[in-house]
Formats: sequence, C-alpha cells, structure tokens
Amino acid sequence: MTGMPPSVIEGVEPPRSGAAAGTDSESSVPASAKSVAYTTCYMCACRCGIKVHLENGRLRYIEGNRNHPINRGVLCAKGSAGIMTAVSPARLTTPLKRVGPRGSGSFEAISWDEAMRIITERLAAIRASDPSRLALFTGRDQSQSLTGHFARMFGTINYAAHGGFCSVNMAAAGLYSVGGAFWEFGEPDWEYARLFLLFGVAEDHDSNPIKLGLSRLKARGAKIVSFNPVRTGYSAIADEFVAVTPGTDGLLVFALIHCLLEAGRIDTEFLVRYTNAHHLVIDDAGGAEHGLIARNAQGSELAFDRATGSLASASATGIDPALSGTFVLPDGRRARPAFALLAERYLAAEYAPEAVAERCGVAAATIRRLADEIIEVAFNQPVVLEQPWTDAAGRRHTHMVGRPVAIHAMRGISAHSNGFHTCRAIHVLQMLLGAVDTPGSWRYKSPYPKPIPGGIPPGRPAGAPGAPLNAAPLGCPMRPEDLLVDAQGEALRLDRAFSWEAPLAIHGLMHMVIARAFEAGPQKIDTLFFFMSNMAWNSAMNPGESIRMLSATDEQGEYRIPFVVVADAFASETVAYADLVLPDTTYLERYDCISLLDRPIGSAHGPGDAIRVPVLKPERDVRAFQDVLIEIAGRLGLKDFADAQGQPLYHSYADYIVRHQRAAGIGPLAGFRGADGRAMGRGEPNPEQLRRYIENGGFWVHHLPPEQLYYKYANQAYLNGAREMDFIGSSAPIVLQLYSEPLQRFRLAAEGHGAHVPPPRLRARVRRYFDPLPIWYAPLEQAASRDGRYPLHAITQRPMAMYHSWGSHNAWLRQILPENRIYLHRELAAELGIEDEDWVWVDSRSGRLKARARTMSGVNRNTVWTWNAIGKRAGAWGLERDAPEFRRGFLLNHVISEFLPGEPGEAAHSNSDPVTGQAAWFDLTVRLERCAPDTPDETAPRLGANPLRIKRPAESAA
Amino acid sequence: MKPAASVLLLTTLTGFAYGLLTWLGLYVAAGAPPAARLLVLAGVGVGLILATLGLIASTLHLGRKERAWRAFSQWRSSWLSREGLAAVLTYPIALAFAWAQYRAPGSPAARSLGVVTALASLGTVYCTAMIYASLKPIRQWHNRHTAPDYLIYALYSGATLFALLHTLAFGTAALAATLAALGALCALIAKLAYWRHVDAQSPIASLASAIGLPKGTAARPLDAPHFTENFILREMGFQVARRHAAKLRRIALVVAFALPLIFSLLARLGTFPLASSALAVACAALGLLTERWLFFAQATHVSALYYGRAV
Amino acid sequence: MTMLPQRGPEARKMGLVIDLDTCVGCHACAVNCKEWNTGGEAGILPDYDKYGEKPDGVWFNRIHSYETGSDGCSRTVNFPRSCLHCENPLCVTVCPTGASFKRAEDGIVLIDTDLCIGCKLCSWACPYGAREFDEDSGVMRKCTLCIDRIYDESLPEAEREPACVATCPAKARHFGDLADPHSKVSQLVAQRGGTDLLEELGYRPTNKYLPPRRAQIQTTPRETSGAASQGIGGALLKLLDKALSR
Ligand SMILES: Nc1nc2c(c(=O)[nH]1)N[C@H]1C(S)=C(S)[C@@H](COP(=O)(O)OP(=O)(O)OC[C@H]3O[C@@H](n4cnc5c(=O)[nH]c(N)nc54)[C@H](O)[C@@H]3O)O[C@H]1N2
Ligand SMILES: Nc1nc2c(c(=O)[nH]1)N[C@H]1C(S)=C(S)[C@@H](COP(=O)(O)OP(=O)(O)OC[C@H]3O[C@@H](n4cnc5c(=O)[nH]c(N)nc54)[C@H](O)[C@@H]3O)O[C@H]1N2
Ligand code: SF4
Ligand code: SF4
Ligand code: SF4
Ligand code: SF4
Ligand code: SF4
Ligand SMILES: [Mo]
Repeated sequence: MTGMPPSVIEGVEPPRSGAAAGTDSESSVPASAKSVAYTTCYMCACRCGIKVHLENGRLRYIEGNRNHPINRGVLCAKGSAGIMTAVSPARLTTPLKRVGPRGSGSFEAISWDEAMRIITERLAAIRASDPSRLALFTGRDQSQSLTGHFARMFGTINYAAHGGFCSVNMAAAGLYSVGGAFWEFGEPDWEYARLFLLFGVAEDHDSNPIKLGLSRLKARGAKIVSFNPVRTGYSAIADEFVAVTPGTDGLLVFALIHCLLEAGRIDTEFLVRYTNAHHLVIDDAGGAEHGLIARNAQGSELAFDRATGSLASASATGIDPALSGTFVLPDGRRARPAFALLAERYLAAEYAPEAVAERCGVAAATIRRLADEIIEVAFNQPVVLEQPWTDAAGRRHTHMVGRPVAIHAMRGISAHSNGFHTCRAIHVLQMLLGAVDTPGSWRYKSPYPKPIPGGIPPGRPAGAPGAPLNAAPLGCPMRPEDLLVDAQGEALRLDRAFSWEAPLAIHGLMHMVIARAFEAGPQKIDTLFFFMSNMAWNSAMNPGESIRMLSATDEQGEYRIPFVVVADAFASETVAYADLVLPDTTYLERYDCISLLDRPIGSAHGPGDAIRVPVLKPERDVRAFQDVLIEIAGRLGLKDFADAQGQPLYHSYADYIVRHQRAAGIGPLAGFRGADGRAMGRGEPNPEQLRRYIENGGFWVHHLPPEQLYYKYANQAYLNGAREMDFIGSSAPIVLQLYSEPLQRFRLAAEGHGAHVPPPRLRARVRRYFDPLPIWYAPLEQAASRDGRYPLHAITQRPMAMYHSWGSHNAWLRQILPENRIYLHRELAAELGIEDEDWVWVDSRSGRLKARARTMSGVNRNTVWTWNAIGKRAGAWGLERDAPEFRRGFLLNHVISEFLPGEPGEAAHSNSDPVTGQAAWFDLTVRLERCAPDTPDETAPRLGANPLRIKRPAESAA
Repeated sequence: MKPAASVLLLTTLTGFAYGLLTWLGLYVAAGAPPAARLLVLAGVGVGLILATLGLIASTLHLGRKERAWRAFSQWRSSWLSREGLAAVLTYPIALAFAWAQYRAPGSPAARSLGVVTALASLGTVYCTAMIYASLKPIRQWHNRHTAPDYLIYALYSGATLFALLHTLAFGTAALAATLAALGALCALIAKLAYWRHVDAQSPIASLASAIGLPKGTAARPLDAPHFTENFILREMGFQVARRHAAKLRRIALVVAFALPLIFSLLARLGTFPLASSALAVACAALGLLTERWLFFAQATHVSALYYGRAV
Repeated sequence: MTMLPQRGPEARKMGLVIDLDTCVGCHACAVNCKEWNTGGEAGILPDYDKYGEKPDGVWFNRIHSYETGSDGCSRTVNFPRSCLHCENPLCVTVCPTGASFKRAEDGIVLIDTDLCIGCKLCSWACPYGAREFDEDSGVMRKCTLCIDRIYDESLPEAEREPACVATCPAKARHFGDLADPHSKVSQLVAQRGGTDLLEELGYRPTNKYLPPRRAQIQTTPRETSGAASQGIGGALLKLLDKALSR
C-alpha cells in the first residue's frame, strides 16, 4: 500500500508525542526544532483550516490557515484553545471494560486486542440474527460517509447522526423546497447582499464564515436584521434587533409574505422560470390525486399557457404561464396554478401584520416597515453583474441579476416543532423575491443544489440477515411507500424515524434512541453503539431519565438495553454508562476526511473537501475510531471492507480514504484523483492523494468559473459540471418547490388513499402536518399544555467559546464560562422580585431545576434563556470536586421531556417536529420563582458523582 | 483597593518612625537638654527599627523580593523610587544626627543634623504619600488631602511615641504629650475633612466613557469576561459594605484619635503618665491601622468600572 | 527607563483600533492572545486552579459585554479590553525599577520582566485594568502588542500583525500606525469617529475604539399600503396580468 504518506509533512520532523507549553518533551528532537503542519481544526464542526506550529515536538501555536476557504486565517476561541485540549485531564487513555454496575464508573483497563474481540464477537452474533439489533448513533463526527456506509454494509437500519438534534427539519424543508438548505448546505452572498435577515442564529456550524461574512456586510454598510428573542453575539451587532417570541417566526414570515403580495411586489418572472409556481394543482377534493400536480401523458407537469390559451408542459420555454385562475384538465378535473393557492392563503386577513403582531411580540408597524425595506432592496436596488450565462434551456443571458436580500436561519427556527413549516415559509419568501442563488441573496454551497423530488429513499434490509441495506440508511422518502414501516404501518426503526410518526426524519431521531431502546427491550435492541455523542447528558432531553433507562434492569437483573458501547475521546458523562469504551484519539492525532459524501468544506464558490492529519503522536493507548471501525468491518467481512475471501481490504482509515470507491471513480476525497492527480470529483484512486492534500495545506477546492456561480438550479454550465462530478444524477434543471407535492402525497395517504396509509391513530396528525404549503401552528408542547401555568418560553444558546460539553475540560475555555445563569428581562425580574445572582426555581411540566438569575434588557419579555451544555455531572470531564460546572452550572435539559404531554389513554408522541422528528428543544415553557434566601449555594438537581475508577491490570494482579 | 497587610504596616509603621525622627530632630534643633542624650539616641534607634520593620513589611508585598534593590533606580519619575531613596538616605542622616547629639549634645552639628533628619523624615513620608496621591485612577487618593494627611498622621503618631519615650526617660511626657494631643486633634480634623471630601466627590468617570461611548449613554454590564475573580477584581475591585465601613470609621475616630487625645492629655497632666502615653501609642497604632485599612478598602479604582462596580 | 521618551512628531504610534460595531464578543482574540504569548517570547501566562473550583489566569485581553441605551431599544455591546499603549502612561512613570517603559520608536509600552519586582504599583496606575500580576513568577504582565510578531522578519509580511488581530473572525480589530494620518487605522478612526477610553483621565491612549452604529434603509413610499384585501386583489392582480415568458 502506497497511500500512506511517509511522515506528516515532507521535509520536517515526524510528529512526536507532545504536550503543550509547560511540560518537558522526552523526545530527542534538536533543541530548536520548529515545524509547521496544516490540518483541519476540530474544536467544533466548522472545519477551519489550521496551521499548527510545533517546537521541539510540542504544540507551540495553532493559527488559522490563511489560504483556507472556510476561515481565511482566522481562528475562533475554541480553535485557539486546541493546545489545551491536547493536555486535558479528561482524555481517555485505554480501552475499558465495565466491572461495576452500569453507570457506577467502575472499569477495568483492557487491551485493544480484547476490546476488538469483545465487539467483533458481539457484532458478528447480531449480524447473524438481526443486524438491526445494532443501533449506531453518532454525533457531530464528520465521518458519516464512513459510519453510514458501515451501517449499510452491516445491514442495520438503526443508524443516525446528529442532524436530528440540530436542524433536520430545516435540512428537510430546504431539500424538499430548494434542493439545498440553510443548514450547512447554503450561505448568504456576503459579497453583494444589502439586506441580511438572520433568523434564530447564535453561532451555527459556520462559526467563522458567518463572522467573516458579517464583517463584510458591515464594511459595506449593508443592513443586518436579527430575528431572535435574545440580543447577544451576532444579534448584538445587528442594525435592527427583532425580539420575536419563540416559535412564532412562521407567522411573522407569513405577515411579510402577506405584505409583499398585497403590494404586488414579487418576482413573477423568477417564479415561472425556476419554481413550480405555475404548475397546475389538481383541484378534486376527495379524489386520490387531489392536490397533486397535473401531468400529461409523458409525465411532465402542466401549466396554462396564456399565449396559446391552452395547457402546456410547465417546463416548456417561451410560454406565458398563468399564475392565477382555474383551468380544466383534459380529463375534466379542475386545476389551479400552485401560486394561486399560495396567494390566496397568505393574503388572508389572518396573516396581516396586525393579526399576528401580538403573538409574535413584534409591532405590526415594524413588520410593515421591514416588508417595505425588503421590497426596496429587492426590487429597487437589484444587483446586476456583467456576467453572461446560459440557462438550462440553452438561452444566453447577458447579465446576472440578483435581489440582494439574503436570509440565513438556524436553530431558532428548527428547534421548534413547527420548524419544518417555518423554514418552508422562509424558502417561499425567498422564492417570491427571486432571492435564491442569485447575486446578493442566499446561495447554495457545493455540492448543492440536489434535485427535488429526487432523493434516494432510506435503505432497507434486502434479503438474508447480514446482507447490506439496499441503500444508505438515511435517505429522503418522497412517497408513503418509501417509509420504513411494517404491515400495520408501525415503525421498523428503533427511533421511529421514517415512520408515520416522523415520515421525513432524514437524519433520524437521536434524542429518542435511549427512550425507545428502553421501551423496546432486548427483542429489538442488543447493542447501542454511540460515537462522539454525549447521549446521557446534554444531548438527552431529560438526562436523569436517560441515565435511569440506560442502567435499568428487568426482573432477572438483566439490563433492559443489553450492551452499550461508547467511542469517545474524553471522560464524558456517557462514558460511565458504557459496557465497553473505545478510547479515541484527539483531532490532532489522526487522519480524518471531511468528505463531499458527507458535509464538506464546499462553498458557493465551488466544491471542496479536506483532511485531518496526525500532528501529534498519542502517548496513550488510544486508537482513531475510524481505524477501529474499519478494522471491525474488516473482521466482520463486510462488503466494501473485506474482499470475497473475507480478507480486510484496508489497514487504516488513511488507506480507506485513498482507495475506497463508492462508485466508479468516486471516493471519500474528490481532489487530486486519477493516476496523475489531475482529476477532480471522479477519477481513479491516486496513491499519492493524501500527500497532495498535505502539500496543498490539507484541503482541496475547485473554484467554479464565474458563469457557474449563480442560478445553479438552472445554469447549464453548472449543471453539466455538477453532473460530471457526480453531485447530481442528471443535468436537468432543478425546479424549486414553492408547492410541495411529496407532502401532499403523504397527506393523501392520511386521507386513506393508496396502499400505504398511516395507522388510524396517526391519520389526523399526518393530514394536518403534511400541508403542501407552509402552515403555522403553536409549538406542540405549548399547544398541549396551554393552561397558563408555564407562561415563559425557555431556550438555550450556543456560547461562542464552548462547544457543547467538550469545552469544560479545556483549562482556558472553562475560565470564560465555568457556570451559567438563567437570563431574564429586567422588567420581568422586577415583577417576580428577582435580582441579579438570586437563585431561582425553574419549573416546567416535567421537572424543576435551580439556577442563578441574571437580568438583561435585550431579551424578549416572556423568554428566559441560558447558555447550552455548561452544567456537568460531578465526576465527569476530569474536573476536580468543587468545579463550578458541577456546583452552579446547570442543564436546561433537566426540565425538558422527550415526550409530549399525551392525550389521556393515548401513547405520548415524542417531543419533535411531526414532519421530520427534529427534537423540539426550544418549545419548552417554564415558570420562575425566587428560591428562599437560605437556599444552598448550588444548583439542583445534582446527580451523584461517578468519576471513572479504572482498575489497571497491574493492580488487579496485585 | 485591596488593603494588603504589608502596605498597611508599611505606612503605619513608617508614619510612627519618621514622625518620631522628625520630632527628635526638631527637639534637638530647638535646644534639647543635654540630659536627653540617651533619649535621642534611643529614639533614633526606635525610629529606625520601626522604619526598617515597615520597609521589610513592604517588601513582603513584592513578587520578587530579591530584586528590591532595583526600586531605587527611577527616582526621576517614580515616587516609589523616591520613597525608597529617601528612606535609605534617612538612615545615615539619622545615625549621624544621633551620633552628633550623643557625642556633642546641642552642638551646631547636632542641631543642624536634627533639622536635616526632620526634613529627610518628612520627605520620606511625603514620597510615600505621593505614591498614593499621584494615582489618577483612584479618586480617594488622588486629591489635595492625601499628602498633607500623611504628614499630619506621621507627625501625630510620632508625637505619641515621642511622648512615650520622653516619659520613659524623664518620667513626664511634658511638651511631647501636648504635641501628641494637638496632633491627635489635627489628625482628627484632617480625617473628617478627608472623609467629607471623598464622600462628596463625584465619580471621575462613567462606564460609558470607560467603553468609549458618548457621555451620558446609559450602560450596564451584562457579562464579565470570566466568571471567577481575577487579579483586577481582587486587587482593584475590593469592596467593603457601607454599614461595615461606617462602623469602622467610628472605631477609627475613637481609637485612632479620640482615645490618644485623651490619654495624651492625661499624660500631660501627669496622670499615670507612663501608662497614659503608652496607651496613647497603642491606641494610635491600632486606630491608624484601621484608618489605613479604610483608606485602602474605601478607595475605588476606575478599572472596576468595567466590572460594573461603582467608583 | 520609566521616564517617558522624547517622542517627536515623526515617531510612530503603533496600536489597535477595535470596532465595537462588529465585535461579536467571541473571545477569539483573548484566547489566541493567550495562546501566542504563553508559548512565545512573553513567556507562560499562568493559569491557576486549572481544573478546580476557581479557574483563573493571566490574560492580556478580556472580553466584556454591556447593554447600552434605554430598556426598550437597548443594544448589546461587546467590549475587548487590553493595554492601550497610552501616550501618557502613568503606569510607566510610577514604576520604580525601569521595568515598565514606553518605546521611543513606536510608542509600545512594555514590561521588562527581568527587572520587575512585582510591586504592582503600575497596575494601580492603569485606569484600564490592563496589567495583570503573574502569581507564579511574581512579576507584572500585559499586552506586548505582539512585538515578537509585528517585527519578526522571518514571518511573511501579511502575518506581521498581532495575534488578536490576525485571529479576529469578525475583523473587528485593526493594527497600524496611528501617528500616520494615511494609515488604514487612522483613516478608520477619522471616518468612524474613533474614541479614546476615559479621555478625561488624560492618558491619551493610542488604541482607539469605533462606536457602534446603525445601518438604515430608506424606503420609497408605496401607493398601496395597508389595504388588506380578500383573495387576489389590487396590486397583485395587476402584476399577475402582465405577460410572462418562461
Ligand atoms: N461555539 C459553538 N458553536 C457551535 C456549537 C456549540 O456548541 N458551540 N454547536 C454546533 C451545533 S451542533 C449546532 S446544531 C449549531 C447551532 O447553531 P445555532 O443555530 O446558532 O444554535 P443555537 O445556539 O441553539 O441558537 C439558536 C438561536 O435561536 C434563538 N431562538 C430561539 N428560539 C427562537 C425562535 O423561536 N425564533 C428565533 N428567531 N430565534 C430563536 C436563540 O436565542 C439563539 O440565538 O451550532 C454549532 N456551532
Ligand atoms: N437544551 C438543549 N439541549 C441540546 C441542544 C440545545 O440547543 N439545547 N442542542 C442539541 C444539539 S443541536 C446537539 S448537536 C447536541 C450535541 O450533543 P452531543 O452530540 O452529545 O455533543 P457533545 O456534548 O459535544 O458530545 C460529543 C461527545 O463527543 C466527544 N468527543 C469530542 N471530540 C471527540 C473525538 O475526537 N473523538 C471522539 N470519539 N469523541 C469526541 C465528547 O467527549 C463528547 O462526549 O445537543 C443537543 N442538546
Ligand atoms: S470555528 Fe473554531 S473550533 Fe470550529 S473549526 Fe473553526 S476554529 Fe475550530
Ligand atoms: S493602558 Fe494601562 S498599562 Fe497600557 S499604557 Fe495605558 S496605562 Fe499603561
Ligand atoms: S510591578 Fe514591575 S513593572 Fe509594575 S511598577 Fe512594579 S516593578 Fe514596575
Ligand atoms: S496585541 Fe498581542 S499581546 Fe496585545 S492583546 Fe493582542 S494578541 Fe495580546
Ligand atoms: S475576536 Fe474580534 S469579534 Fe471576537 S471578541 Fe475579539 S474583537 Fe470581538
Ligand atoms: Mo447540533
């Protein structure tokens, strides 16, 4: 095998075991040996390029790689603190086997041989019976192209990654509407936008690009409007701050749409060219095709051509399509342009600013003014680029004209159970403005856009146990038959993704997996395998319950969830609940691949991907998880990981990155392919590929030529190029979906049409939430518990200097935020008699917690909030006994429930978006009350300490 | 400001020391009786020992004690450097004075050295005072009271000590006790005037101006950079509760000034002169330490504005 | 040497310009500053009780946040605070040892930690809280304006800027010669009304802060406003009537 580069960087010393400043290096490197290595940061999932300086084999300094397309040389607080993560006391040091009761923290150090034997035997047995009894759930690991493929080849449908926590409803809303998404698949046009609308973003995955972008907007004097209940971070510097009431953005966007329609200021030209606004929707109430798009015999969608006064293929060029009116189809049924349905809905008085103002907490006049500003910028200040381009129909355009209203949205929208539709509403607003991938608007990041509809449905078992799934476990159901349900219409998957409970759960329901595994018991689950996810703590709704379920036993004393494997780099709260712990390397100690098959570093300027290279050599008995997974797959003889004789194909992840081919010429990395390294996207594996990446600073990008930069859904040159690189299966134009026909298909099923219908208990629900045009409904939890007992909205925000639970073991970052507060409006505080630093009780329908209060003005009057994931369980993360993270830091999760308050006698639904299964973290409502003055100076609930107690072989021998 | 024990000891002890040396110098210059030969000798000894203890205490405050000698180099700009030099210079002067007075009591040399000793002593106290008085960020120090007050407290505390030594030597406190009583009165008035002054002072800056916003902009802290106390807060952000401070002020008034005043008068009147003058010294010492504690604890530093504290 | 140097009109005034209008309060500059300096010429910036109850340490740069304005329309202002390299730095003149000094050539205020006795007086003299005591080595510490970067000729020219400036993801920090009216920083200060912190104290800081501002969009009045109507009506009908070409 020649794929492995000989050393980290040519011409410099190979990596030494290292530690940050302050400790002595035992290596024999000459006194002043300095070297530099380029790799990718992983203090969060933003994928910035870093330049790592080593001195005498020790980390000296990490700075941003100035040539890197993501961060252009800048580095955030977390990235700059990477040096302290490399010496964190929380690092795991050896494989562990549980010896005490689960959760007690008692382990025995074992060898990798033994660890591999245990897991391989276990998985082999599962695979021989029912592969789906392995549930593999991974966090924000950036190896999903590998882990997903492993699951597929293993044959389990029970695989998911963190998207279901974050923003799966936005990912889905975007993919089903515009073939891209705000969530990691799109970005604002920082260069040309004049008005930037930011919905519910605190930090986001694009941490550094957003900050860089905001500064560019500022430099140009563009206006930034932030819709957010809380004014911190990006909202702090917004030119206008709109303190929207949580969960009501959909209404607010409808009111904006209402104003645009009312004023007749929308881009109809854009609508008929690039969206399905003119597609005729069958109007046949009660019929099996009611609400679907009318098609001709060839299957192409129909429009009404006003020029000829007849029906025409909607994709024909030169027609003058009607956007209003009612037309008769050849079969006599009536049909109406999708746009007409839309206009009618949002022009209704119920969406006038005046009608929504109170619920949104935003004055009607403000909404109207914002609508006017949007109109002004979109239509009176268009961006016109002197850049010819050719559309998919072959027409040459001399200019690129854009509506410089850019929108970005994240979890303020998605962490609500109405997020799918709210996000769709935003995409509809963009389409009405003609502000999708045009100069100055929101743009796709390569490799998006993808065709809609056109997603590959989720894979399902194909044949005997042990056979691979017929497709990747996560996919896009487009019709009822794509769901993973049994004959009764009940879920096949453990987390009930792709079932009628969450049909478009394209990333799975991570937050439900422990509860569902507990519910289902050993018949359905044998091994819960967690990678890089703190499932028993901050990523759990209701951590106390999750922990209880993880350690629950049946009457025979057997664990209800038979086996738990955790692959983590640090001593997180979840590690204590593992039966087997596979200790991972840290990000400076391994190869990684930020692949186009997952979520790469591509931008609107073109595709790109990146690698991580080992810069330090671990001095602990740890192994890169990807290496381990590939070895397991090889030992199990999985297809694509072992040859026909069952011999492993790859000896390491680096080897796999270079040689694995998903399809002919398509591999984990798109750059420097082919024998000569000149091919991109598609090409023979190149044994020198990693070396080429290293020489290039750890990444590869392809800059699209200027004529391909916009209108990608209908840009001939772009579509052809994307086809060649295998980003899309055909170079046909991608029609933006103002009206979502797939949703209507699910709705029809709920009305009893077709062979695949929801079980009766779910019919009304599916009918309601699968509206082909965006709707708004109060967040489910609030609707279900609307008795006024919990009058305040409670949300969390990402702190910029912390990444979930893995900042607290960093000696620098924890100085910034070792504990958190519950923030509330000064007026509200005055009303409740609460002052700064008072301890307060935060009560919700599912629990209570104690936190210290801090008052502020820049917050919605009825909203309280805190920084996410600061509170830690005593004993975890290598922290000492009285760490503030244990004593005063708290998790809001303690008062969130993974179940909605059910109707009496009915099984409770999960606390999720009913369309996509997105965890509804921010639907929470609470009540606040000052604690008695003599209350102890510590948070509640405080779970007992369970630090890892590791028996080393030497000790056990003695 | 954090009332560090080392600085409290330094300023209080050197106050006694240099005050005493000043009075001894003036005593001789004014024609002390030859019988006071031993008194002056012992007095200078006591003064220098106290000064030395004070200076040693102050070096305890240093992060790098072994480098303390470097502190003498910047007399052209630094009052701390000047204080150090003045203190060091005072040693040979005071010793020469004591020696001259011992060898030839009342000689012109002794008398003029007495004047020089007094000047050097007061100069040292003045330098100490100016260290504080020159610090613009601290309004309670940077004002016209600080320097004269330090001189007054030094003269006053020195006088109580002088009275005690005098009583020890001659059995009566005589004029020294009068000086001590007068000193206590002056010091009391000076302290009251000082408190009146600082209590009426308006803050020297607002949070708005500290963060560069237009004057008058309302500004409130939201989050501090770090949750735990840091050097700035420990050193500059020290806060003492109003009620606690008011109580301490009353204690200081009584113990530092009122009681020594009474004891000095008693000593002057010959009522248990030794006990009375000893009690005057003891009270002055305790009281002045309290006063000095307050001088620090109630001083606010502009930088605390950044943490939302009143200054 | 704690006497302030004679600085002619031609002397450079190297310093930072910090834009409060774009600072998002991310702490990147603070952490990167610590990272650069702790392993570099400045020497280790200590941390105390790293994993314990009271984590604390020496930082040359700390990020505060404030709320300004009245409650109704308050604005959150993030505020990075570090040494301002004053023209009239009392922190220097009070220093008894000569450890604190201001450089004649570029105005940078530095501490020679080999001379410092740790008397802390300079920290009392600094109104900005920019000096922090290093409990481990017993000396005073502060921002060096990254002199070991800005003059390091082995670095590519573009990298010869302070670590905090290089790293700031919002590009809210700028570095340059504030004595040169043509420099980028001077022009920013002129255009944006850069201000001195605590001007009334007379320290004449070199670093300047650019105040928050508020971009606005002037809208052209529309004929049809507010007339909510049922169904498709008015302006929209007119628009939909227009011929389109697909
Ligand atoms: N530094 C840092 N960066 C991170 C992470 C981290 O932990 N730390 N985590 C990463 C991950 S996994 C994710 S998923 C992303 C998430 O990135 P973000 O989307 O930025 O996630 P949150 O911090 O949850 O921010 C949600 C924002 O929405 C606001 N909000 C809440 N409810 C509403 C609402 O109803 N309407 C509106 N308009 N706003 C609302 C909140 O006040 C908050 O500002 O960040 C990623 N980046
Ligand atoms: N209340 C509330 N709860 C939330 C959210 C919220 O907004 N509010 N957000 C939700 C969201 S969007 C998300 S994504 C989840 C995030 O929740 P999790 O995915 O649980 O995130 P972390 O806590 O960061 O846990 C990640 C785990 O990865 C480990 N890890 C770090 N680096 C490595 C490595 O190199 N290798 C390996 N193997 N492991 C590593 C860490 O030690 C940690 O145990 O939280 C969710 N929970
Ligand atoms: S945003 Fe920060 S932590 Fe995340 S990858 Fe970039 S530098 Fe690293
Ligand atoms: S900011 Fe403080 S430390 Fe820096 S030069 Fe000015 S006074 Fe001195
Ligand atoms: S602490 Fe050091 S630098 Fe500061 S004044 Fe004292 S000797 Fe000078
Ligand atoms: S200039 Fe250098 S030393 Fe000063 S704050 Fe910035 S990074 Fe820190
Ligand atoms: S790095 Fe920039 S944006 Fe972040 S806190 Fe510092 S100055 Fe502000
Ligand atoms: Mo997330």
